[in-house]
Amino acid sequence: MKKFFISIMVMAIMVVSLTGCGSSSEDVLTVYIGFQEDHAVAALDQFTQDTGIKVEMIRMSAGEILARIRSEKGNPQASVWYGGPADTFVAAQQEGLLEAYVSENADVIDPAFKDKDGFWTGIYVGALGFASNKDFLERNGLEAPTSWEDLLNPAFQDEIIMAHPGSSGTAYAILYTVLEVFGSEDAGFQYLEKLHPQVQQYTTSGSAPGRMVGMEEAGVGLLFAHDIIKYQEEGFDNLILTIPSDGTGYETGAVALIKDAPNQDLAKAFIDWTLTTSAQEVGQRTGSYQNLTNPDAQEPEKAVRLSDINVINYDPVKAGSERQRLLDKWDAEIYNK
Amino acid sequence: MNKSKKKIAQDPILILTIILVVSSLAVFIVYPLFQIAKASFFNIHGEFSIAGYQRVLRGGNLLRALTNSLRLAAITATLSTIIAYIFAYTINYVNVPFKKMFSGMAILPVISPPFVISLSAILLFGRRGFVTYHFLGMQNANIYGLNGLILVQTLTYFPIAFMVLAGLLKSLSPALEEASENLGASKLETFLKVTLPLTVPGIANAFLLVFIQSMADFGNPMTIGGNYSTIAREIYLQAIGSYDMQAGATLAMLLLTITLIVYALQKFWIGNKSYITVTGKPTGVRKLVEKGLFKNVMFGICFGLSAMVMLFYLLVPIGSFIRLWGVNNSFTTDHYKYVFSIGRKPLMDSLKLSLYATPISAFLGMIIAFLTVRKKFFGKRFVELVSMLAIAIPGTVIGISYILSFNVRPLALTGTATIIVVALVVRAMPVGMRSGITALQQIDPALEEAAINLGASQAKTFFSVVIPLIKPAFFSGLVYSFVKSMTAMSAIIFLVSARYNLVTASILSQVESGRLGVASAYSTILIIIMIFSLVILNTIVRIFGGHEKTNSPKINKKKPINLNQGGM
Repeated sequence: MKKFFISIMVMAIMVVSLTGCGSSSEDVLTVYIGFQEDHAVAALDQFTQDTGIKVEMIRMSAGEILARIRSEKGNPQASVWYGGPADTFVAAQQEGLLEAYVSENADVIDPAFKDKDGFWTGIYVGALGFASNKDFLERNGLEAPTSWEDLLNPAFQDEIIMAHPGSSGTAYAILYTVLEVFGSEDAGFQYLEKLHPQVQQYTTSGSAPGRMVGMEEAGVGLLFAHDIIKYQEEGFDNLILTIPSDGTGYETGAVALIKDAPNQDLAKAFIDWTLTTSAQEVGQRTGSYQNLTNPDAQEPEKAVRLSDINVINYDPVKAGSERQRLLDKWDAEIYNK
Repeated sequence: MNKSKKKIAQDPILILTIILVVSSLAVFIVYPLFQIAKASFFNIHGEFSIAGYQRVLRGGNLLRALTNSLRLAAITATLSTIIAYIFAYTINYVNVPFKKMFSGMAILPVISPPFVISLSAILLFGRRGFVTYHFLGMQNANIYGLNGLILVQTLTYFPIAFMVLAGLLKSLSPALEEASENLGASKLETFLKVTLPLTVPGIANAFLLVFIQSMADFGNPMTIGGNYSTIAREIYLQAIGSYDMQAGATLAMLLLTITLIVYALQKFWIGNKSYITVTGKPTGVRKLVEKGLFKNVMFGICFGLSAMVMLFYLLVPIGSFIRLWGVNNSFTTDHYKYVFSIGRKPLMDSLKLSLYATPISAFLGMIIAFLTVRKKFFGKRFVELVSMLAIAIPGTVIGISYILSFNVRPLALTGTATIIVVALVVRAMPVGMRSGITALQQIDPALEEAAINLGASQAKTFFSVVIPLIKPAFFSGLVYSFVKSMTAMSAIIFLVSARYNLVTASILSQVESGRLGVASAYSTILIIIMIFSLVILNTIVRIFGGHEKTNSPKINKKKPINLNQGGM
């Protein structure tokens, strides 16, 4: 009996000392990832294959990543922020949370899709779209919405689903797009106020609405077109993708170096890698069909080309600098009313 | 007692232990709570402001989260208590089959991951739900929101109320009821005038315990809450979603205050009343209702509810093999492939950290129990109070307070395994401690004094005399800690990192992105691990705990492990 307790005690002490030490993080790179999980895992595997560097990751929505980097400001845990709309990166940059790094590989990338000082660099581009459930439309004799105004149709009351702009980069892109499409902040907010009662619930993650519409938990979801196509590929063949004809926004998915992060060299190597064709072509293997920023990379066949649709002039820098103010305003005037 | 005081001064190990216990309680429980209070009263620039409280009280979403939670908790606690009473009464007063099964139900919510029932509720009653869509042909069933929450929380928490009430009804002396019936009262009159009044404290107790659980619940609202915002979920969204620490901390303060008040009510106002004197002598056996309509109705209710809970738990493994629930119902093992390619790490992390936390919480619980029951020392009241309060602190409050407290040096623990293990220990330790205290109070200190008089040190006495004497409590603390750690979510959701990601957090993110199949596969694996570990631990207990000669006839050696102790 006594021996048993002594052995348990010894084990406990060993365990405590083990955890106390904590393994050193010298050779492992930590990355916060903003796009979908299976794509993330495939990308990191590819990176380790290409470079031999070990990586650890956690997937979060863009707003959550921003909140986490803020909260870890004194003691950064991750070195790279990989994926998610550039607006949130700009918000982080303006709070001094990012480190400038101009990768040599960024030369080929269109200046519209990168920060000139290298605080963030675009890796993919994707337009916003509407996902509608075919059965829902047929049952109610409806057409899939093709404009922002269409969403206000009384038949869609409580049937629309989108993410919360505070936590999700997708949803913030929707908010900012609406303001641009309607030509002014006031007109945009008037529209958002009318949209609010149409929304059944706000999810945390930006791509979740597509799945919920596929499961027929809601009729229409607002999210990025490439996420909608991903769900169609997964087996939700009841999803209809439409793009608002009165203008839609798009995200520039970005990558950035976190300020004062550990393992800066590995992090820079990682960022260099994300701009290569090898990195950018991983997405299409897991059903993620964004447009790619590296002109030499093989574009996914199924990607929605920005040249084929009516896109607004989406300025991530402006969107990012206004982010907190617009979120607070949306919270105060619409969500928390 | 003077003797032991003198002894303390001569025993450096004891002094060291006391210092260690007091300081860890101070650093890991008191200091974080202090930080929350600070964050709720000071804005990010460090200026004093009550803006956080003003924002909550001004109305809108934050206040709604608070009132919503209170309403939900009241409804859930009422329903759970009623259902639990029916169950407890049936098992103790009516001769029905399947009693073992009904009692076994009580253990399910403890060993299952926190939102299994929510998952099943969506699979059963969602828009594409098996019952609502296929069975009833409803087109617009909406399980998200208050109704869904009431359903899942009641099913999740009524076993807690059941444990309280079943124990109470069992210990009621049948003599009083027999007397009442011998005096000509009907069964109903006896119940209303004798049984019910005697169990009022227990009813209140059960109600308050479920109330606290429902208030602090995080997993179900995240899964099935829809637009019905509740306070624990809102704390998370404010802190993690928008890094509005002041709003998060303010809500956390309010939640903490409410749970502490309710807990204090339960502890001091009812706790003292609910003791029913048991003489220890057998007072005759209760005559059970053997037949008749009453028996059949009670049995029907219990059986129906049990079947429903079983169905809820069975649905998750089934759902884990369905490609796309309600859209494409073909059989697939893809979800398991996904879990084993992507989810291996969180599973291993969960196991590893739980194995770290388990012995620490079990020993710490016993040590604190020993110190508070047997020793007099400076800071004893503090230790008693803090470790008791720890039971009532909601997980989300621990989570947000750890983010606030351990982000900066000298205590920069964010992202480490240590902070997660500490959180797991803080959540599990108080329960083991409570059973340790109860066990120790039944044992004559003379045994330990004898050891000390014979020259044993305090440490030796503790390991050679105390622990063997309170083995059942120790082992149940061990098992409880493991189970609790494996299924913990509300606190650790704030603390997971790229290096240590836990399985419950992974399940939540799968639910969030709507991969119900993958979430079900994760949950199934987790439940299998839990059952497996419980069997192993129970075997160990039987090997080490069964055949010892103890010197005290007062100890019930064959005490089965009791998992359900109403810890938060």
